[in-house]
Amino acid sequence: MIFDSYEAYRAANFTPKVCILGSGPAGTTVARKLGAAGIPVVVLEAGSREFSDESQDFYRGTTVGDFYFDLDITRLRFMGGSSNHWAGWCRVLDKQDFEPKAWVPDTGWPIRRTDIEPYLPEVRDILDLPAFRPDMPISDDIRWVQLIKSPAVRFAEKFGDELDKAGNIAVVLNTCVTELVGDGKRVTGARLWSNGQDAGSFSADYFIVCTGGLENSRLLLWSNQRSNGGVVPNAAALGRYWMEHPTFEGGNAILADYNAFEVDAVNEAFFSPTLAAMERLQIMNFGIRLIETPYPGVKSLIADLACTAPSMAEWMSYQLSQRLRCAAQLYVAWEQAPLASNQIELSKTDVDHAGVPRIELHWKKSELEHRTLLEGLRLFGTTLIEKNLGRVRIADWISNGQDYPTNDETAGHHHMGGTRMGTDISKSVVDANCKVHGMDNLYVGGSSVFCTSGQCNPTTTITALACRLGDHLSKVVTV
Amino acid sequence: MSFLIKKMSRRAIVQALIALPALSLFRKLPDADAAHPSHAGASLADPSEIVEVNGWILKRSDLA
Repeated sequence: MIFDSYEAYRAANFTPKVCILGSGPAGTTVARKLGAAGIPVVVLEAGSREFSDESQDFYRGTTVGDFYFDLDITRLRFMGGSSNHWAGWCRVLDKQDFEPKAWVPDTGWPIRRTDIEPYLPEVRDILDLPAFRPDMPISDDIRWVQLIKSPAVRFAEKFGDELDKAGNIAVVLNTCVTELVGDGKRVTGARLWSNGQDAGSFSADYFIVCTGGLENSRLLLWSNQRSNGGVVPNAAALGRYWMEHPTFEGGNAILADYNAFEVDAVNEAFFSPTLAAMERLQIMNFGIRLIETPYPGVKSLIADLACTAPSMAEWMSYQLSQRLRCAAQLYVAWEQAPLASNQIELSKTDVDHAGVPRIELHWKKSELEHRTLLEGLRLFGTTLIEKNLGRVRIADWISNGQDYPTNDETAGHHHMGGTRMGTDISKSVVDANCKVHGMDNLYVGGSSVFCTSGQCNPTTTITALACRLGDHLSKVVTV
Repeated sequence: MSFLIKKMSRRAIVQALIALPALSLFRKLPDADAAHPSHAGASLADPSEIVEVNGWILKRSDLA
């Protein structure tokens, strides 16, 4: 059932056991799992069926530190959430992403990759994915990795009819929770805002917060402040350890043979470091995206090489005459070290239309990340030499240690951390089952529970974790 | 050692000292990659050595 207002929902006299906040990939997946288990669930979606400026305005905020996107641009507030603008790139976090890195503090998850692997067939159905394929080592340091470019499932489009017909799932549009109320053990209720006005209070046995990797922290910070610590009793890490995937053009490559490794339908290939290379250089995970360079760009690259290594340039020039495809741009996206100082705070001066403080995002890239970028390109360049595949040129701003450019990709619009999973209550917000520490009936879904970010796009892992959370709740919640 | 020196003529000792800089062990080769700390101390004469010049990651032999 889908209702366009809270009033219409109330008139239906539906009694849910579980209340899910948000209808993005995490919220929709948990709802479908609970519905399939016969558990009545209501999904409160802040937006309507379509994009609107009025709804997006609730997402405005400010960023302190490094340059970042406007916070009302980097996410979407309507049915289906940010699945409405994602690119559809899919890969599950690596096994090593779940393990602690001895050289980076606060890494490691309380679960292993094997804990989510049983859900991957289900994830493939949800996201319309082909089979996952294992990595292929190119050298001791570099592996070819599969990044699936899927049709980008829009969750409202794909699952809208199913949700509308489901007798035990109610989706309520234009309705959001402005504040959860808790007593330090349980969430006892919620304040609602619907169609531009206060809509009173609401209660359910369980609450699952799936409002996105920025908004989850915002709602819990505000609720906790209003309840004097009654919603997140152990709040030391709340809003902290926020992460993105910084993404920049790192240089170019001239390739002896573009067919030496597998490329996708648009002639792109992806590479990551081996665990041994990360350990040896004490760097984070990263992904190098190799994009075929148009012909004029190839010529100028070879001219540049001729100034440094004339014979090599001559040989490359010969290769170019033999094969029209022989150069590439190298885009690098990398894993950020989880830092408590990268955090979501509540604005002290600015509130949205419902009176909830807006986000003040503190985000800064560290020295370790610049080293990851530089050493990553060196690893890739060395691998191309070792395997006689080509040569790499690192962009000047990286070699010279200059500031990050502000006219580049910047980041992946991947909002991770803030309510991270863990066993140490001083450094995490939820446990291995995504339940808020110390609370009996409050759970969190989505990438805000990520402890570390890995290097790949998060939606596949978000969906796997949501399947796992849905399974867990269907055993915990009694009808 | 001192026995050897006693047996050598002064002329032979001087000639040996003059010849020392010509030995590769004592020769300072031009360093194309002094700015790359990870390669400091590596054998600079190795043609397969990885060097970084003007942003390019190359083999030393590429520079020929």
